[in-house]
Amino acid sequence: MSVKAFELVPAVERDLLMGDKARINIECIECCGKHLYVGTNDCFIHHFLLDEVTSAKGKLSYSSQKLLHKYLGLKKPVAELRAASALERLIVLCDGIVFLVDMVTLETVPSAAGGGAKIRGVAAFCINENPVNGDPFCVEMGILSSKRRTVQIFMVYEDRVQLVKEVGTPEQPCAVSVDGYFLCLALATQYMILNYNTGASQDLFPYNSEERRPIVKRIGREEFLLAAPGGLGMFANAEGVSQRAPVNWSESVIGAAVCFPYVVALDESFITIHSMLDQQLKQTLSFRDGHILQDFEGKVILASTKAVYVLVPLPLERQIQDLLASHRVEEALILTEGAQRNIPKDKFQILHKRILQQAGFIQFGQLQFLEASEHFRKGQLDVRELISLYPLLLPTSSSFTRCHPPLHEFADLNHLAQGDKDKVLRCKKFLISYLGEVRSTEVANGCREDVDTALLKLYAEQDHDSLLDLLASDNACLLADSIPWLEKYHKYFALGLLYHYNGQDSAALQLWIRVADGDLQDPTRSDLYEYVVDFLCSCSNLDLVWQYADWALQKDPTIGIHIFTKRPVSKDWPQLNSDDVISYLGKHVQAQLLYLEYLVLERRIQKEKFHTHLAVLYLERVTMLLSQSPIDEAQLSSARDRLQALLRESNLYRVQILLGKMENCEQLLLERATLHGKLEEHDKALHILVHKLRDFRSAEAFCIWASSCRDSAYQQQLFHLLLGVYLDGNRPGKSQAAAAAAGGDSGDLEMAAVDLLNRHGEVFDAVRVLRMLPEGWSLQLLRPFLGRAVRASVHACRTSQIALGLANSENLQLLHDRLKERKKPIFVSEKKGCHLCHNTFSEPDVVCLPGGVPVHTQCVAQRVRDSPTKRLLTNSTNHT
Amino acid sequence: MPEASKMKKPDVKVVLLGDMNVGKTSLLHRYTERRFKDTISTVGGAFFLKQWGPYNISIWDTAGREQFHGLGSMYCRGASAVILTYDVTNWQSLAELEERFLSLTDTAHHGCIYAVVGNKADLTDSKAQLSQDSDGVSEDQIQEEMTKPQVLSACPTPPASPASLSGMSLNKQVTREDAMAFYGRILRYKGLEEKGSLPAEKMCFETSAKTGYNVDTLFETLFDLVLPSILRNRNENLQSPTVDLEECRGAGSKRARSTCC
Ligand SMILES: Nc1nc2c(ncn2[C@@H]2O[C@H](COP(=O)(O)OP(=O)(O)OP(=O)(O)O)[C@@H](O)[C@H]2O)c(=O)[nH]1
Ligand SMILES: [Mg+2]
Repeated sequence: MSVKAFELVPAVERDLLMGDKARINIECIECCGKHLYVGTNDCFIHHFLLDEVTSAKGKLSYSSQKLLHKYLGLKKPVAELRAASALERLIVLCDGIVFLVDMVTLETVPSAAGGGAKIRGVAAFCINENPVNGDPFCVEMGILSSKRRTVQIFMVYEDRVQLVKEVGTPEQPCAVSVDGYFLCLALATQYMILNYNTGASQDLFPYNSEERRPIVKRIGREEFLLAAPGGLGMFANAEGVSQRAPVNWSESVIGAAVCFPYVVALDESFITIHSMLDQQLKQTLSFRDGHILQDFEGKVILASTKAVYVLVPLPLERQIQDLLASHRVEEALILTEGAQRNIPKDKFQILHKRILQQAGFIQFGQLQFLEASEHFRKGQLDVRELISLYPLLLPTSSSFTRCHPPLHEFADLNHLAQGDKDKVLRCKKFLISYLGEVRSTEVANGCREDVDTALLKLYAEQDHDSLLDLLASDNACLLADSIPWLEKYHKYFALGLLYHYNGQDSAALQLWIRVADGDLQDPTRSDLYEYVVDFLCSCSNLDLVWQYADWALQKDPTIGIHIFTKRPVSKDWPQLNSDDVISYLGKHVQAQLLYLEYLVLERRIQKEKFHTHLAVLYLERVTMLLSQSPIDEAQLSSARDRLQALLRESNLYRVQILLGKMENCEQLLLERATLHGKLEEHDKALHILVHKLRDFRSAEAFCIWASSCRDSAYQQQLFHLLLGVYLDGNRPGKSQAAAAAAGGDSGDLEMAAVDLLNRHGEVFDAVRVLRMLPEGWSLQLLRPFLGRAVRASVHACRTSQIALGLANSENLQLLHDRLKERKKPIFVSEKKGCHLCHNTFSEPDVVCLPGGVPVHTQCVAQRVRDSPTKRLLTNSTNHT
Repeated sequence: MPEASKMKKPDVKVVLLGDMNVGKTSLLHRYTERRFKDTISTVGGAFFLKQWGPYNISIWDTAGREQFHGLGSMYCRGASAVILTYDVTNWQSLAELEERFLSLTDTAHHGCIYAVVGNKADLTDSKAQLSQDSDGVSEDQIQEEMTKPQVLSACPTPPASPASLSGMSLNKQVTREDAMAFYGRILRYKGLEEKGSLPAEKMCFETSAKTGYNVDTLFETLFDLVLPSILRNRNENLQSPTVDLEECRGAGSKRARSTCC
């Protein structure tokens, strides 16, 4: 509970004051600067000079020197003494009389000619330390009369006193304090505030002054401290409101004073010290025979009956440090913040920050991380103070040294944790989260490298997921310092990322490759190989790409080729020359094929070289597969499909080369047919298809394919050609070879011809077909073809008629619309006359003159003939 | 606690009044610290500063002990809201409000609002036994153990009702209707018309500091109701030689005592 806030230092010892005279007691004291006045029960005033002495160790003591003592001649105790230093007077209350003595000589001041310097019948008095009257050479004094229920206000001058105001009170007052116009009074049964200027009063609270001595103590502008029932110290302001919670004294308090932020109170045997900030009892000092406690210009002086002491406050910082030393963080902060108004702003800020930081470290030591981080943040802690607690986290290059005096008592984390592994771990987790939070704030300004490197080390050590995030984003991790650390924890992938971040892609790749090849162990990424390929894909350094492509292709050509095929295509990114790539890939056949496919099929690059090359590669593969035995049919058919597709769809490859390569290959007839088709040698193609392959479906498909981008006439021609091939082959003598190839089964071709006609009847020119067909064919056989041909012809005829009709009506419609747009209707009737001949109209046919004037056709013709200019009329129309 | 030290000038004052042991301190604790903990009978008084939006509200916890009774008027001086607290298991605690505490409010602000709060509802009402404190659920077990012996023993008021000594099933001695009737008498005492004042249904609460039942509602309802009073305070300080006749009529004779002497 206790704080050492004050120290009790002897000021005037018994010997100096009264020697061995046992009956002499101190009755009152006054202190003014270095001057201490003591009034005794034998009617003496003693005058001392008090000197502060600070020892080499910083310990404060007082040396007092007696200057004078003086007997006042009244044989009664000196009840009260007050200095009016501006007047060089002491105001003395003795034997119910107030009078003035000289501060230096202690001589009683004689009354001036005009008025008295004495007031009689006085029970108590007080000085107004906040007088409304601004005259510096007079002192305002409140007087309680011993007999009357009044308070009198006097002005005290050098040699006289003057009554200026008298106010009545409802009961006999027994203690008083004054501030401005406000008197704070203890009456017999209650306290009250009385405005002596207006007479307005405000009851405070009941108090039995006979039972317990009241205390009325002004503690600041319009604020008083009062002894309340139950041993409370109550605060009240001039409005009668309590703005601070009361402090809890003992029942027998004799005197009290405020020495911010403490309330000091004296009872028979103790000095108690409460904080005004949290109302808690902070310190208790034992003090026998306590008699007087008063504060003079901020200095708290106490007296027993025999000796005088000064209650010296310890420096605030020392008090705070004491609190922190006993880990009373909350109180230390309250005390610090409470002192804000007593300390210059900039000094306070420095102090406050430091205390916050220290508080943070105390809580950190207690593993109260939430509170600790809050205080670190508020105290703007240099994070390196925290990092430096963790061995080896700060980079060796860091210039950081801990602040002095130290913020905490820990040498390092091991010292703090005392071998408790769990503690260490929790501290590390805390640092991870704290650094993570502050690294992007201004707290990290100027030490970003230290922070990021420390974070990296922690992540690596703790196997934390965020390691990669840290390295993949903006960071200031120091490479040199991180390398050994990451290696130690086998974080090679991460190290590679750091190399990359530092522009050392080559080092990164070397490392990764060793991991991918299993020379180094780092399980971070099981797909590291793919990662490296991706990395090379987007690598801007082409030398590196060439350097490591071999490795990637050897490991897996289908993925490795992505280096070349998945490269982002963009103008401002270094691109690879396709020809270079192809020739580079010479030794990686499979990859080369993939690359060509990428160029031709994916990028659709229209270059003969690539197309031919790809077609040749396809062909080579097919021939290779064909030469194997047994033949892998599945592979072969897929390889042929690719080849055929390319041959069909591309128009760029050199047909002759390919044709040359498969000239003698009887297994690739279909391909050859396609190639002939490309050369528009349709007869050759069809010949192969029909006679060699006897694949009529393909022959038909060929016709459709070969004419696919051509007009219908071309298509028709092709189909006729095919029909011709079918029919010719069928005719004995004309095509011996074909007949022989057909193996005598010439009915096949006939049927094929019939099928073709029946299936594609619409393509053929029916008349021509009929002429070509052999005489003997039955009508029944060709019924579908003929039926369709007739229907088609009728259909064509009707369609064209409809089209004609529609076109006519559309034309009419347009004419009508045009008229409507251009003109209002022109009415022609038998009652209207022609403007030229003035006869009426008898027919609907008229001619309109400009302006819509209808006239007879013949009149206009007449007029035009007559007109010298032979002007043409613009509008002519029909109206009914 | 640090809040209290910062000495911001409060905009408005709320005062808890009531006999000793009714649970004023516990209510304030529950509200400010979100938990129910051991208390000692309050000595003198204590206050807490609550930041409510842009405003500072000081909440004074007073001592119910007879000894400190005289301080009540001072605490109430200028108050904008007074929470008159009784213990639902103790009829006398409501009677005391009327006999001893109501007169203390004479010094309150003329527009002061009054709430009548029956605490310890957890002892009589099953719905008040459920913890309402969203952030203190896990603490309940501990609280249970901590407080049971107290409920049984901490009843130093000499004529303790037999019910409260029997412990487990305490009789509800004060119904909400009793409290609302008392609220009506407060209005009459203040010379206020029922029509122009806040209704009893709104201003009578049954709470439990132990479980948190209705505690937030109580304080927050009051804060919302005193906000106009804050604004008026601010405006009064700024301007206004004009007299609000409505208010004068309502405050009547009390006003003379509290504002001019
Ligand atoms: N069961 C129950 N007990 C309560 C409740 N509130 C307070 N108590 C108990 O009642 C006793 C008194 O509570 P306090 O909060 O100290 O009462 P108080 O009104 O502040 O008393 P004084 O400070 O003396 O005026 C304590 O033992 C509390 O544990 C409640 O809601 N339910
Ligand atoms: Mg209490």
